[in-house]
Amino acid sequence: MTYLLLIFFPMTMAASTFVLRRQTELVIFAALGTVLAQLLIATQIPVDDPTRFLGITLTLSPLNRVFMLLFLTIGGFAMIGAWHLPHGENFIPIALLILSQVCTVLLLQDPFITTLLLAATGLTAVLAIVDLPAGASNLVGTQAIAAALKYLVLMSVAAVLMYIAFVLTDIYRPGELPGRISPARFILALLVVGFALRLALIPFHTWLTDLVDRAEPLVAALIITLLNTTSLLVLILVFQSYPNLLLESEGAHGVMRLGAIVSALAGGLLAVGQAALRRTLAYLILYDCGMVFYGLASVSSIGLAGAIFGALNQTLAVTLLFVSLGLLERPDGRAPGVIRRDLLRRWPVAGAGFLVGGLVLIGLPPLNGAISQILIYQAAAQRGWDELLPLVLATLLAGVGLARVAAERLLGPSEVEGEAEPPLLGEIDLDRPAPRRLAPEPRSTAALTLVLLVLCLGIGLYPQALLATIDEAIRGLSFLRAL
Amino acid sequence: MINWFLLGIGATAAVILLFRDWRLTFSALLLNNISLALFLAQQRFVAPDLRLLGLEVSTLVVVKLICGIAVTLILTITALTFSREYGLENLDEFGLAELRRAARAAQRQRASTPFQLSDYVVPFWSGVLALLASLALPRIYPIAPSEGIDFAWYWLTLTGLLTIATASDLLKIGLGLLLCASAIDLLYTAVVSTPEASGLNVAPLTLLSAFNILLALAIAYLSGLLYGRLKTLELSALYGR
Repeated sequence: MTYLLLIFFPMTMAASTFVLRRQTELVIFAALGTVLAQLLIATQIPVDDPTRFLGITLTLSPLNRVFMLLFLTIGGFAMIGAWHLPHGENFIPIALLILSQVCTVLLLQDPFITTLLLAATGLTAVLAIVDLPAGASNLVGTQAIAAALKYLVLMSVAAVLMYIAFVLTDIYRPGELPGRISPARFILALLVVGFALRLALIPFHTWLTDLVDRAEPLVAALIITLLNTTSLLVLILVFQSYPNLLLESEGAHGVMRLGAIVSALAGGLLAVGQAALRRTLAYLILYDCGMVFYGLASVSSIGLAGAIFGALNQTLAVTLLFVSLGLLERPDGRAPGVIRRDLLRRWPVAGAGFLVGGLVLIGLPPLNGAISQILIYQAAAQRGWDELLPLVLATLLAGVGLARVAAERLLGPSEVEGEAEPPLLGEIDLDRPAPRRLAPEPRSTAALTLVLLVLCLGIGLYPQALLATIDEAIRGLSFLRAL
Repeated sequence: MINWFLLGIGATAAVILLFRDWRLTFSALLLNNISLALFLAQQRFVAPDLRLLGLEVSTLVVVKLICGIAVTLILTITALTFSREYGLENLDEFGLAELRRAARAAQRQRASTPFQLSDYVVPFWSGVLALLASLALPRIYPIAPSEGIDFAWYWLTLTGLLTIATASDLLKIGLGLLLCASAIDLLYTAVVSTPEASGLNVAPLTLLSAFNILLALAIAYLSGLLYGRLKTLELSALYGR
């Protein structure tokens, strides 16, 4: 019953909030209540206790429970952020629907259903990308439509590739057909390309840069955190369910690691070349996606721990970055159309949030990203210098990219107008315009940013509890032992 | 012995790849779905459990048929209602002026781009390549229980992907995606129903049909948005701005 509640309750609430979508405050409160109820339900579900429903097995592993709680918390944060940050008319219903789909994916073991549900999350996300605020007097941007179309096509193609791979795994028997090329490599290739599209690994990443560029920050945050991380968890489940794919294609591991290194390096390199906040952010995320995928592709306990912890840290960091971005892009009371370089002074909490989010992605101690990056470096060091050095170089490049955008957009001198000019002849104080008072950051969103900052720092200082859970989950992964 | 249903699948997918007019391509999509359903009925992957018009068919075939008709209907209704204007009451003067500009630009583009045979060269030759690949792949890499099924799903996948790659408008991209979705539907039904596989499950089959319908709805929604914004579905107009 609790499983069904976890799946269908947010779905029904999504329908209800869709009906009431024009009453923004009421809808946000209802959605927050739903998320809190979901959190409570998720803690009530017994771990590793499978149940059958309509011929489908539903179960919640300890690792998936951690991520489910994290996703629900991120969903709650997005709802709070929606109070002040720009979002579309249907953002809350869509967010609830995505949460429901993601919870279902985390409960499932069947690869066919999981693939189709992941594809369905992609279709749902498309609605959010082209969503306009309630009563908007402007037209939806053509670039937003282009970004949505690209996302739709690439996610559908990814689903097709993954589905074909799963059909092949259903009839594939290891060791059959001696003398012929093992289908394991073909299946693994289909899966890797399908998941690379979903995880936005370079060169399959173009949807992510467009999404970050064109979608509202909260929408981009929800898609990147919830959907990408869920895809990574599904990939781990696939390796766990079909360990022979990895066993029979040892040479393919090297290709996967190489792809991850190229993705991280290219992400870092492209981040250096950008001065725009959104583009830099997109490439920093791409760099981190490459790092996380390297941890997974290393197929070692330490690398996998780094990948899972890295995915968790990425989820928090990306949320922090996009909430901060939403605040940084608010009209700030000064003349519009000017590229400001003092954003940290103008919006101190958001500026600090953006910097810290970026530092989490590149793994600067004592933030949470540091531990996962160290684990990934250790996994690379086990393979040799030729794999460790490019990853370190990628991190340095990403760091330079972050430093550049910080210098050009955040850390500049204050651009607030200085002393008032002396009155002209005959001019009195009443003739002069009232001094402009710049509004501070909205309290709820600033508080949310601070909470995320504290979370990043807290996990960085005390990662033991999470690492213990991740280690325990990894010990249960038979494919690592088999390799 | 010619398998007319297989021929129907092949010919209709080729029409979708080659032609641009939605009236033609949507009709081809409907026929493609009907051919696919009849092909599934003929191959008997699932034992018949219904008697319709004197024919014994399985519920699966009927569901596929209904799903195919629903998908075509969604797209056709969208295409028929393009000329209607929605949500103009909220737009300010700038938005309305932009719409008028877009309408003029679309009209100019339509007037200045008459029928050109060269527009069909790339889709035609890509279709020829897809045909050669679909004939060769069932021998090189057989997956399904028979060569005919392998040809059908390879052909649907390749024409779907090539339709997306050579598409000049948004609806055509949607048609390509729907062909790919039909391909995995056929592959799943044919392969997983074999004795050595795990066996067909209701949930993935239901979700596949739901995915087809959701995909059609998403394409219809995006097409409506694009047409409402630019008064054209041409991708050149979308990416050229």
